[in-house]
Amino acid sequence: MGSLIAQIVSVTLMNLGSLRRRLWMSLAMVFASAVVVVILLAFLAMAKGFEATMSGAGSSQIAILMREGSASEINSVILQDQVNLIAESAGVARDTNGPLVSPELYVIVDGLKKSTGTEANIPLRGLNETGMAMRNNMRMVEGRMFTPGTNEMIVGEGVLREFNGFEIGKEVRFGKNLWTVVGVFSTGGNIFESELWADIKIIQSHYNRGNSYQSIRLQLENDGDLKPIQETIKREPRLNLEAQTEQEYFASQGKQLQYIATFGWIISSVMALGALAGALNTMYTSVADRAREIATLRALGFSNFSAFCGTIAEAMVLALAGGLLGSLAAYLFFDGLNTSTLGGSFTQVVFSFEMSPDLFVQGAVLALVIGFISGFFPAWRAARMPVVVAFRHAT
Amino acid sequence: MSDFYLVFKNMTRKPLRLFLTCFAIFIAFLIFGAVTSLKSALNSSVELSADNRLVVFNRINFTQSLPIAYVQKVAAVEGVKHVTHLNWFGGYFQEPSRQVVSMAVDPESYLKVYEEIVIPEEQKQAWFNNRQGALVGEKLAQIYGWKVGDRIPLSSNIFSHKEGGYTWEFVISGIFKGDTEQYDTRQLLFHYKYFMETQTFGGDWIGWMALTTDDPAINENVAKTIDDNFANSQSETDTSTEKAFNKAFIEQIGNIGLIIFSVVFTAFFTILVVVGNTMALAIRERTGEIAVLKTLGFSSTRIFRMVLSESLLIAFVGGLSGLAAAWLLVEGVKTFLARFLPNLILDGDIALQAILFMLLLGLITGLMPAFQALRLNIVTAFNRQQ
Repeated sequence: MGSLIAQIVSVTLMNLGSLRRRLWMSLAMVFASAVVVVILLAFLAMAKGFEATMSGAGSSQIAILMREGSASEINSVILQDQVNLIAESAGVARDTNGPLVSPELYVIVDGLKKSTGTEANIPLRGLNETGMAMRNNMRMVEGRMFTPGTNEMIVGEGVLREFNGFEIGKEVRFGKNLWTVVGVFSTGGNIFESELWADIKIIQSHYNRGNSYQSIRLQLENDGDLKPIQETIKREPRLNLEAQTEQEYFASQGKQLQYIATFGWIISSVMALGALAGALNTMYTSVADRAREIATLRALGFSNFSAFCGTIAEAMVLALAGGLLGSLAAYLFFDGLNTSTLGGSFTQVVFSFEMSPDLFVQGAVLALVIGFISGFFPAWRAARMPVVVAFRHAT
Repeated sequence: MSDFYLVFKNMTRKPLRLFLTCFAIFIAFLIFGAVTSLKSALNSSVELSADNRLVVFNRINFTQSLPIAYVQKVAAVEGVKHVTHLNWFGGYFQEPSRQVVSMAVDPESYLKVYEEIVIPEEQKQAWFNNRQGALVGEKLAQIYGWKVGDRIPLSSNIFSHKEGGYTWEFVISGIFKGDTEQYDTRQLLFHYKYFMETQTFGGDWIGWMALTTDDPAINENVAKTIDDNFANSQSETDTSTEKAFNKAFIEQIGNIGLIIFSVVFTAFFTILVVVGNTMALAIRERTGEIAVLKTLGFSSTRIFRMVLSESLLIAFVGGLSGLAAAWLLVEGVKTFLARFLPNLILDGDIALQAILFMLLLGLITGLMPAFQALRLNIVTAFNRQQ
């Protein structure tokens, strides 16, 4: 047993030592596996970053209410008396100032994207102090809160990253109205950072919205318990609303990017097949190249199995090197890469690619699988070839 | 013995290697074809927009509305041929997930501005005369199996009906086609007047305007005149060509598309490099044989041709089959994806591009070894073998 391991080790070392002689073929193998890993990681990192942005926003303690049938906030309309009715409902948390209910309204405005210099949709959200307080992961990074009743606004960090002209102190013109940026806020990297926030009363009057809103956010008395609210809605015909937890809402909004992630998986698996064919080819050539060497080893008394293991180990080392190279490339190019896309509410969602450690692990596993498969068949063939035939072929 | 026979024998001497090489090329071009088609489908709205058509939106953002009084003022601007106005309805059929691109329009002027719409004369008149009438695009009608004369309910996720609820009833007056196959006919158009009279709020507001100019050369002037007209009014406007607007809209989807495409193309080229390397090696291995052929009296140019045609052959066998598979794939998913991507086709341009890459692959992988074969000194070649 001990001698078998010793044999395997020495064959492996020998194979690895001679890699330099087959430089081009070895590099081809490394490249082939690097490609597969890069593609996979790029898509996964994108999906991961988007997911973090979406799911981080959703709390199960907060319910979001919109007009029934409207898929997103932008399409919904809610009137003041409906807000009042809901505020009295059972199941809504209260503090000393009354029920924790935040009616909100937003309009879509244009911002200049840094990356392309073109205009893109940003939501300008109007909310009140309760609404601000309910987002308990929100904190000011710089500057101060807007003063209610004035044309002041605060901007999310994501907006600041992706768009031009929203720095503190800047004046921004939307149509006839001039706004002043007085602060930058963070909500821990989630979707709210893609928004501009200002006083709700001012937005209602600037955009002729009367006393209407689009959504109601409210704090639930019991975590995730929508029942009392839904019962109120059912009992009261004036409330044509739909209630869901924020978590559910953002999960459904995040769906479309999942399609892209699925698309990524399909493309990378098909590409992986192509690269695998390339890698197999390389290994076959590489083994054929050394047929005489392997035959010599076996003539010297090395077992078939050790010759087999040596070849597999070589392929796996090369593939792993490719995997590392691929992960490194993916990390350098994609980690923290800021991007934005049109989200479910017709507005820009700013997010960054996220290369978490488990993605590296997935990349490494994939590389090892490629190495194993592309090493297995050539190694099998090399180990089974009769020594005499091998000598004859090599000349 | 013909040269082709030799080339063929050389190529097939290691069937496994040949298969793997062709397979890798096959995959590379399958993905190339499919992804490039996808990309051009995404960009097709830009390609198809008319040169002399402008759109007028609210300056704040295209989701904000404009007063209907603006339509007359725009019509009076010099150089404007026809002008029409549109309202986004946010329609869906039965389920919120079955969205229908639907707009409230002014029928006569709409058809003047959007000349691509082809519709039988009697259906057109029927639509003009029926307030509840709707004009439906061919592809949309196909998706839901609608026929002329059908009564269909359409709900809005934005507006509500005066009589309660969010659902309007329409009668299909006509089914239109586009003047080209790529024209997006997944739309439903209905009367603005019917919409205005039956909705609970919104009043005399329109979503945006579309207009044609007398000549694309005066586009810029017309746009400027319109925007100047409404400067400092409650609703300032932003006028741009339809092309520029569509382009900006696609850019909103963002760098994501760009990132995906660049990743896929990098992968495509790397696979070609890897495959090319093995192809070149396969020929280099045969240095000795080439020396024998030379000794037998084969001319250098003849050998050069043979080596080159071998790698070209491999590149085209793999590449063309990959392209064919991509075509089948695109044709297969076309109807399935018609709701999201109406213009998914693998057209001549894409095929030509792919063929160019195959040619390049064959040439690059063949040329180096072929040149070496051309210049090969027989004596050194035989020496090297030992």
